Amino acid sequence: MQMDVFLTSPWIPAEWIRAHGLQPRGIWSAETFQHGPWPLSAGVCAFAEAAVRFAEARTNSAVIFSTACDQLRRGFDTAILRGQSRAFLFNLPATWQTAAATQMFRSELERLGQFLLAIGGRAPSPEVLRQDLLQSSRTRKRLLESASASSPRGFAEAVARFHWDGAFSPLQPAAPTNHIPLALVGGPFLAPHWKLLDEIEAAGGRVALNATETVECSLSPTFEFEAGANHPFDVLVHGYWDNIIGVFQRPNTRLYSWLKPRLASRHVRGIVLWHFTGCDLWRAEAQTFRETFGLPVLLLEASGEPGAAPREINRLQAFVETLR
Amino acid sequence: MNTSPRKLNLDEWDDRYEQLRRDGLREAGYGGPLRRHVVREKDFRLQQLQFDNSPAALRLWNFLLTENERLHQARANGHKIVGTMKDLGTVPVMAYALPGVRAFYPDGAWWTPCLMECSDKLLQQAEAMGIDASFCPVRAMLPAFENGEHFPQPDLLVCSTGAVCDDFSAIAQRLEHLGHPIFWWEIPRRRQPAPGEMACALPGNLAAPKIQVDCVRTELQRIGKALGHLAGKTLEDDCLAAGIRAANQARRLLDSLRRTVYFAPAAPLPALEMLVAEMLAIHFCSDREETIVVLDGLLAEVQLRVRRNQFIVSAEAVRIFWVNPVADLRAMNLLEELGGRICGSDYMFTHALDLIPENLPPLEALARTALADPMVGPTSDRAMRIVRECQAGHAEAVVVSRIPGASHCAREGEIIREIVRQTIGIPAIELEIPPVCDALLPSLGSRLQALVETARDRRTK
Ligand code: SF4
Ligand code: SF4
Repeated sequence: MQMDVFLTSPWIPAEWIRAHGLQPRGIWSAETFQHGPWPLSAGVCAFAEAAVRFAEARTNSAVIFSTACDQLRRGFDTAILRGQSRAFLFNLPATWQTAAATQMFRSELERLGQFLLAIGGRAPSPEVLRQDLLQSSRTRKRLLESASASSPRGFAEAVARFHWDGAFSPLQPAAPTNHIPLALVGGPFLAPHWKLLDEIEAAGGRVALNATETVECSLSPTFEFEAGANHPFDVLVHGYWDNIIGVFQRPNTRLYSWLKPRLASRHVRGIVLWHFTGCDLWRAEAQTFRETFGLPVLLLEASGEPGAAPREINRLQAFVETLR
Repeated sequence: MNTSPRKLNLDEWDDRYEQLRRDGLREAGYGGPLRRHVVREKDFRLQQLQFDNSPAALRLWNFLLTENERLHQARANGHKIVGTMKDLGTVPVMAYALPGVRAFYPDGAWWTPCLMECSDKLLQQAEAMGIDASFCPVRAMLPAFENGEHFPQPDLLVCSTGAVCDDFSAIAQRLEHLGHPIFWWEIPRRRQPAPGEMACALPGNLAAPKIQVDCVRTELQRIGKALGHLAGKTLEDDCLAAGIRAANQARRLLDSLRRTVYFAPAAPLPALEMLVAEMLAIHFCSDREETIVVLDGLLAEVQLRVRRNQFIVSAEAVRIFWVNPVADLRAMNLLEELGGRICGSDYMFTHALDLIPENLPPLEALARTALADPMVGPTSDRAMRIVRECQAGHAEAVVVSRIPGASHCAREGEIIREIVRQTIGIPAIELEIPPVCDALLPSLGSRLQALVETARDRRTK
């Protein structure tokens, strides 16, 4: 059986893991990622802490942390101290406009490759990688094409499935409604949170754009082979590196450039900013979203309960009410 | 006049200042009585602090508290001002290598709410700008940029990113959205070289893969170009090498000061003045030459005191290693009031204390120094240095002071305490110190007191 390699960020290429004969899994798609209330301790991001605990418990799998934020970076330190030997810290540069950053991303992929070999992966064949990239590109494209027309929950589930096993799940078109179109923007969106999409509908809103970091924007990598001439590894590097849309990037203008046309084309009237307790990177964007897009923003905190906590639902209802 | 060392409050310093003046005290251009910082700058916290009574300490405080004024003056004199953010110690070495350029850390606004006892309302203003109390006190920097009442607007803003805290990264990004363009440069998270990988030795007994050093050197090269452009003069290697030598002069002085104070049988200088002196290393408090004079004065003072067997904290005091700067300076006084003394410190910029290698090409040397930053590497590396320094300074306990809201504090305290306990078995506690800690003094006091007593009990066992 292939070993599971859990990824804490959608910007760590799953295709590279598969090319090594191992099974990449978006950690956020794992049913067992977090049971019950989120582990809250002062200042610790609940998502990062859940990733540490998951890594601790799954010693027969590997977990790839990223350096995208201090919380995950230091979460990795904790996982190592607690004895997880199959953990890897992927240095994801925050800058993206320099050759040095591209080179770093590339060399980190090579280093990740060495790690995968050390835990039992096989050397990747360029042809296997090429085929996987083509397949992944098609699936990403199909999912993206159905993003605006599908039911918000069906879309979130389909993207989660893609991050779990790479598969495409056919999507049903959403029935037309006169609900208020909203954008859900923010940190990882996990299976227990799907219920939030129903709750938003019940409140009279509809998520027309799910721009949480594990849903629509996570599909942005694309892999183009020009007349079959490129080396698949180069295509992989650029397919990701040129298309990462991260709140952690400096400057994070790509996130704004990605959001702007989509907010407009989907007639979004308000933004729900979804964040985990202890997450500075997302929280800090609230005011900039307001100023840049001229839209009202509601900060909603991920809770341990499915969907949103009752108090948060009241706030959500009031928010939608004000947009009527 | 031979006055034995002791601590004075602000009122007592008024008298002491008059006395020193009558005795012919000669001061730098920024000199004067400490009281004026309360009256003019509203640095009300000074009224709650205890200061060392030496003229050298007076000069240190005046140097620190006139930084904004001196920066405005430098701007008026045609100097270019560079705001360097986050890297704590590296970019300023480059900036000061160029004539007519001054670098400072807007991050220093961190202490403004403490000094002004929050009368400046910077923290509330930051909240209105979208950065609330879930972020560390460095959020004070944001309104300070906007209202221009503190430091001058820099001609160039440079900020390291990558392996930095989320607080600063998020706040700096907000600053850029507010219209302050930032020159971002990447500092990767330092890692151990893999077996067989080309490696470089870093200051502080560390190592990093060559590929990371190359990356940082390339980034510093970009910064060098931007600085040169600003100065209208290329930053050549020989200039930079001279800048490194001058920075090392300050670092050597600081090293002697730390050794003399921390390793002495009793403390010849208070913890508070030592904290301020250490901070001079990161950007020379906007004046490299004067930093050297100030440190020289302090070193001469403590050497004299040690020779005369005159101390400010007794040999009985419990030797504490302190980790992280305190958001409220008052906490350093408190520790000594409760029977502790500092015998070592890691205020988050130990890489700014280590000598920059002078036997390497200058940018390579600076790249290695930047990567030795305790905050960009694994917490265990930082903890191991703390352990080594605890052993060198015969520490009897460790205090990790937690900074409210700081992303790194969420985990590092636990890891550091664990490693300290496992390796040297001395007690270690973690305390959160807000910018004005008056309301928490009883509980902070009792926790520190308990630590001091525990450490004393261990002496007898
Ligand atoms: S939710 Fe925020 S703090 Fe948590 S891991 Fe993601 S970016 Fe980091
Ligand atoms: S979180 Fe820590 S390192 Fe970051 S700015 Fe605040 S005090 Fe400095």
